[in-house]
Amino acid sequence: MEAAEKYDFSAVRWFSVAAVIYLVVGTLVGFYIAAELAWPVLNLDLPYTTFGRLRPLHTNAVIFAFGGCTLMATAFYSVQRTCGTRIWSPKMAWFTFWGWNLVIVAAVITLPLGITQGKEYAELEWPIDLAIAVVWLSFFLNFVMTLVNKKTSHIYVSNWFFLGMLVMITYLHVVNSLAIPVSLFKSYSLFSGVQDAMIQWWWGHNAVGFYLTAGFLGIMYYFVPKQANRPIYSYRLSVIHFWALMFGYVWLGAHHLQYTALPDWTGSLGAAVSLAMIIPSWGGAVNGMMTLSGAWDKLRDDYILRFMIVSLAFYAMSTFEGPVMSVKTVNALSHYTDWTIGHVHSGALGWVAMVAAGALYHLIERLWNVKMYSAKLVNTHFWMATIGTVVYITAMWVSGIMQGLMWRDYDEFGTLSYTFAESVAAMVPYYKMRAVGGLIFWLGGVVMLYNVVMTIRKAPARAA
Amino acid sequence: MNKDTGYFHTDWAAMTVNDWAGLIVTVVVAVVMVVAYVLVFHPKNKEGLESQRYLVDGVEGESGPTENRLHGENK
Repeated sequence: MEAAEKYDFSAVRWFSVAAVIYLVVGTLVGFYIAAELAWPVLNLDLPYTTFGRLRPLHTNAVIFAFGGCTLMATAFYSVQRTCGTRIWSPKMAWFTFWGWNLVIVAAVITLPLGITQGKEYAELEWPIDLAIAVVWLSFFLNFVMTLVNKKTSHIYVSNWFFLGMLVMITYLHVVNSLAIPVSLFKSYSLFSGVQDAMIQWWWGHNAVGFYLTAGFLGIMYYFVPKQANRPIYSYRLSVIHFWALMFGYVWLGAHHLQYTALPDWTGSLGAAVSLAMIIPSWGGAVNGMMTLSGAWDKLRDDYILRFMIVSLAFYAMSTFEGPVMSVKTVNALSHYTDWTIGHVHSGALGWVAMVAAGALYHLIERLWNVKMYSAKLVNTHFWMATIGTVVYITAMWVSGIMQGLMWRDYDEFGTLSYTFAESVAAMVPYYKMRAVGGLIFWLGGVVMLYNVVMTIRKAPARAA
Repeated sequence: MNKDTGYFHTDWAAMTVNDWAGLIVTVVVAVVMVVAYVLVFHPKNKEGLESQRYLVDGVEGESGPTENRLHGENK
């Protein structure tokens, strides 16, 4: 039976194209606000275009618009393929698509207007939070019911990772968003003081852990073997990777609150489990890379596979860097500096965006039953993404460590050696360098969008 | 009490319900992780678990890439 008849990929196609568009839009906003820090005149003296308002627009666009559409496309595609069954409800998949996009439109309108809860990665106000919960649950229900209808005796590991993400993000989003509305566009968190901070970072780090890591590992465990045309290196390692990630990640949030009002032991526990998480994270990265064992030559001409394997290198790097930064001694230097921004982007650009780009190229070719319009442009995008990421994170590492050292430096009388303004002035060259890195990465996304549009245009009419 | 034993000293009487809940969850999770490691890496479970690698090609009977099968047999 033809795959087109056996499965329903109609919503998956739209999610895939939307993901590529949101990659370009989200990183464009990111580039603009990076440029604002280097050239403050770009704030335009308008409240709507200040860094403070556009920064959450950037994070919401790349995490929830680009990341969300990628996750929904890949989850709905791979669950059907690995379970040998049609999606439970194609109509509900369309509801998820339009509902998710409606949430994105609401974010685009409210965030520049300054309508925000002020909670990082959970800025959207309570009516939008409710909409997110409803749409997310439709995604969750459709995924689970498709699993229920599976034609296989076993649930393939990629589905476990998607399922872990769905369960945990539901739980995290609901608890972190508990708030008392005082008007249509204003609410106050149900929690206060240090409890609010703890709940916020329990959500904040797990948005990284379950959404940007577990979800994208689901992508990795399906798309790397498919693109490499080889099964995953070790299925047993993938099982351990999954359970260790599920058990471990929920403890880490406290490492964001070292040296605060949070009890000292909580931060120590967060740091200890963070260090322990290096083992499963590296196990997973090695598992993905070793899938190419004996066939490394594929990397020479399979540019889509390059995206995936290099993303795993960034995954390994950032899952080593994160635990090191959580240790109190290092955290004392790194916290509140640009080092954190560099770390986040080594994961977001190097791991998440690159594995997503690889998976989306793979999807586009299969959904439209056609090869990419230009393999050379895929390769061009690969190098722009890699170089852009490296330039970005290098700039932030240097500026972050310099910031930390300037802030803690004092003379023989115990007086700080530098004012805060002096440290800001010292950052300017690195902010310019970061903007250049972001620009290169964004241009790579534009190349991808052009390539995808041209690919779909040349696709046979039946597939399109 | 020396420095090392002092570090591990616990005032059990002062433990709150939250402390106990956290302690129990921590210990249970640690035990479950050990059980998971033992089960997954026990030689008798190797074949059963590793055979699931091929599920990425789709259900039984659906044609998967030949290379996948060969790669698996060589392992």
